[in-house]
Amino acid sequence: MEQDKSHVLVIGSGGAGIRAAIEASKYGETVLVSKTLLGKGGCTTMAEGGYNAVMRDCDNCEDHYEDTMKGGAYLNEPNLVRALTNEAPDRMKDLINWGAVFDVTPECTIAQRPFGGQRFPRTCFAGDRTGHEMIVTLSEHLRATSVRIYEEISIISLLTDDGRVTGALGIERSGEMRAFLADATILATGGGTRIYDISTNSSSGTGDGYALGYRAGAVLIDMEQVQFHPTGAVYPYDARGRLVTEAVRGEGGILLNTKGERFMSKYDPERMELSTRDVVARSIATEILSGNGTERGGVYLDVSHLPAKTIEERLPVMLEQFLAYGVDIRTEPMEVAPTAHHMMGGLKISEEGLTSIPGLYACGEVSGGVHGANRLGGNALAETQVFGKRAGESAGKSRESEKVLPINQVNDQEKRLQAFYHGDIQPVVVEMELRQQMWQKAGIFRTAKDLEVVGKAIENLAVMNMKASSGENLAGCCTVQNMYCTASLVVNSALIRKESRGAHVRKDIRQDWDALNSPFGHTWISLTSSGAEMRRNL
Amino acid sequence: MKKEISAKVFRFDPLKEEEPRYIEYSVEVEEGARVLHVLHAIQSIHDPSLQYRYCCGSGQCGSCAVRVNGEPVLACMEEARDGMTIEPLNLPLVKDLIVDLPQFLNTLPCLVPEGEGEVPLPDVTSEIKPLRSCIGCLACVSVCPAMQVAEFAGPTAMRQAMRLTLDPRDKEERVSSSVRDGLFTCTTCQGCYKACPKEIAIPGKAIEKLRALAHEKGLTLDRHLEVAALIRETGRSVASSNPGFLDKVANVIEPCGDVRGTVGFFVGCMYNLRLPQTAFDAMEVLKRNGIRIIIPNEQVCCGSPLIRTGQTEFLPALKARNIESFVARKIDIVMTMCAGCGSTLKHDYNTPFKVMDISEVLTTYGFELPAQLGIKVTYHDPCHLMRGQGVHEEPRRIIRACADLAEIPQVCCGAGGGVRSGLPEEAALLALNRKKLIDTTGADMVISSCPFCEFHLAEHTKKEIMNISSLLLRAYNEKDLNKPG
Repeated sequence: MEQDKSHVLVIGSGGAGIRAAIEASKYGETVLVSKTLLGKGGCTTMAEGGYNAVMRDCDNCEDHYEDTMKGGAYLNEPNLVRALTNEAPDRMKDLINWGAVFDVTPECTIAQRPFGGQRFPRTCFAGDRTGHEMIVTLSEHLRATSVRIYEEISIISLLTDDGRVTGALGIERSGEMRAFLADATILATGGGTRIYDISTNSSSGTGDGYALGYRAGAVLIDMEQVQFHPTGAVYPYDARGRLVTEAVRGEGGILLNTKGERFMSKYDPERMELSTRDVVARSIATEILSGNGTERGGVYLDVSHLPAKTIEERLPVMLEQFLAYGVDIRTEPMEVAPTAHHMMGGLKISEEGLTSIPGLYACGEVSGGVHGANRLGGNALAETQVFGKRAGESAGKSRESEKVLPINQVNDQEKRLQAFYHGDIQPVVVEMELRQQMWQKAGIFRTAKDLEVVGKAIENLAVMNMKASSGENLAGCCTVQNMYCTASLVVNSALIRKESRGAHVRKDIRQDWDALNSPFGHTWISLTSSGAEMRRNL
Repeated sequence: MKKEISAKVFRFDPLKEEEPRYIEYSVEVEEGARVLHVLHAIQSIHDPSLQYRYCCGSGQCGSCAVRVNGEPVLACMEEARDGMTIEPLNLPLVKDLIVDLPQFLNTLPCLVPEGEGEVPLPDVTSEIKPLRSCIGCLACVSVCPAMQVAEFAGPTAMRQAMRLTLDPRDKEERVSSSVRDGLFTCTTCQGCYKACPKEIAIPGKAIEKLRALAHEKGLTLDRHLEVAALIRETGRSVASSNPGFLDKVANVIEPCGDVRGTVGFFVGCMYNLRLPQTAFDAMEVLKRNGIRIIIPNEQVCCGSPLIRTGQTEFLPALKARNIESFVARKIDIVMTMCAGCGSTLKHDYNTPFKVMDISEVLTTYGFELPAQLGIKVTYHDPCHLMRGQGVHEEPRRIIRACADLAEIPQVCCGAGGGVRSGLPEEAALLALNRKKLIDTTGADMVISSCPFCEFHLAEHTKKEIMNISSLLLRAYNEKDLNKPG
């Protein structure tokens, strides 16, 4: 088996992974492994709206901090939020130094637009292809470093030695196994909302990092906190859930039900369409459930009152995507409904990006704690850069260790893969069943009863024998295992959190506290234990 | 609502198989399904070994480009059509629909920063942005004819070079390197532009701009300098000691019978000096169809050879003189016969009159049906007519009225973009590629509608090449011969 040895191994090639690799390469030999072509797989390249950073004297980091904490229902880790808000501007400057082309004002400063839950228009942007601009910039910069890049290799397991992560095993497209040994390993595998039937995520949002970390013994926090983006496409069926960026509302888009009512006035009259995502998503879902939705199960999002030029310049991707489906958003409203978008929970990390296991770092969506119970639009792209750099730097500074391939772990994985050749059910069947169950029973509104039903369903799916017809199907089987592992973490954590908080709504629980006075801190879950931190006694 | 779709899919594992197979699958998909969803259905129902790439599913990552019925598209955005054929892009194959993208993507030039980077000025930013939306699908590279025969880094590499050139943060000199990378091998056929899902106009926004910068650095090809000198001296891009079309033709040609329309005729250098008989044939055809033609004889070269090769210094004078010559005669419609002139007048000029190709004029006003000649012809779409002006159907209507038409895929013949004059060896190789396709049809004759294509193809194929107007005139003559009495 081919073995690659390096100082730092980075898994994932989205914004966080590439940023981490660039930083780590300053300290030693660095390898980046991506299950897709570089930069194409993660959600960064799909991120449309923007990057939050304090860039003006009339704004300040304290306000960004407070907005983020309040938006996150005070479940965020304060020290991580400090890092995010203090360093987002500098990481933006890195991107500018490396050639990023953001929209600028006539005064030649970075332009910023208003986004939900923020008291200042703090969201920097490149039209509505902000994440793409970042990925292009980062990929170009990465190629100019010494980082060795392995594309289209799926990591299936982390290697450990005496409680320390020492690298990872991956498989090529053909199914051939490869080992990567490193002094430090960084998980930057992104999120996992593909576990839901309706999701904005790319094909790689399958929760691989949560599953890899969990199996290796890491602690994950707040896994019940899944952000449902208020506005996903509803047509055509196969494109359901496709992201309709918050920038549409940031630029002045309004939400209407089929009665023509601007219904946000009922739910958040002050912030209206630019309320936080959890509130807007619930409002839309409520309208649809009460019969005020369209035949296809959506509400209207309208920008036709804006000048056509504004739409063409500020929302070109939206314009192009809707035109492809026969809707001209310059003259007609879009139909939208909530869609699973982002996992706020994830591997517990320190400010340096270190997880609960030595040798294992995490950054970006796979980590938890930065966004609390609800993420503000524009904070995820900033997170990728701030924590990508931090994880890359601390992994880079980690000590050297002897690199020996643990044969027993390789054998275990060989056995795992071999079993798929004797399976009897197509992985896609398991995947579809899982996604339906999760959407119906662990979505925006939750009850213990539903969660137990879906928990049971996941257990049943997990014992099915998935089938690989050839080596090329092995990665797909492993991915579905990651999906149901992630789904079970979400469901179990949702049962543990006996309150409604941010994006997590328990309809079966009555509570007399608001987010600020909640008795609960993080939920946590690992191979050995799970529970909820208490901030005070109930 | 579900529907049934059948698709023929290219299957090939070069490591295990001798040659590709096309397998037909039939699957049930939802209304509005894209090509990608058909592939998903095939893979999950019929054959899990089918290999293809995809990621974002929303046209943003560029992983899933394939050819559908021969045209490159993003599988995730293109609506699935019953009976479609799905093939990989025309790039080095890995397996089935997967091609080797990294070998191109990982060698694109990168920005080399020096110290603190300043935010570019707003106007620079808006110039860079259209070159920045590239998603790296490489549809452009897959259709580029120059890359097949010349040392050319390709359309997206030129896009990137121009993007870097515009950016004050980049410290490298990109113009000379892009010349080394084959800047002058591009025929400006617009294939990359039309294949690009993000509609990045690489020839106009990158190639020609880089050539203009190369010109400032004295890197223009010698032959292109000669052409520019000739235009400066004579107002014409070709030299001739014989009297041209404009020297012989009347200023106004009245039609036979009623006047059904009036057009000004922009002749162009090639029809004026190299192929005047073709222009006279066209005059006969128009006369017969009731079109009055006004021909200002002070008109000069449209400037296309200068724009395509980046030598734009005295372009404004040419433009002003041409526009004035038609405006002075109060002409509303200016007709071109040369695809290059037509495309230039439509895109590089800002004209107070409408510009139409002769095929558009004939099909708009209607043309008398000729006799069928009983021959089989094929049609070579001129790049600057089909892609440059979007004129595709009109010439075919005319040709089908005269002869049996055998279609061939549209590919550049190598005559455009200054390649015929500047890099004749490359132009000859492209023409030979074209000849191979033409030969497969068994056609007696090749019809085209561009003097550069006609001249170039005539030189490099053994086939008879005929202009579309000459074909129509010949079919009219045939009709007249057969007239009873």
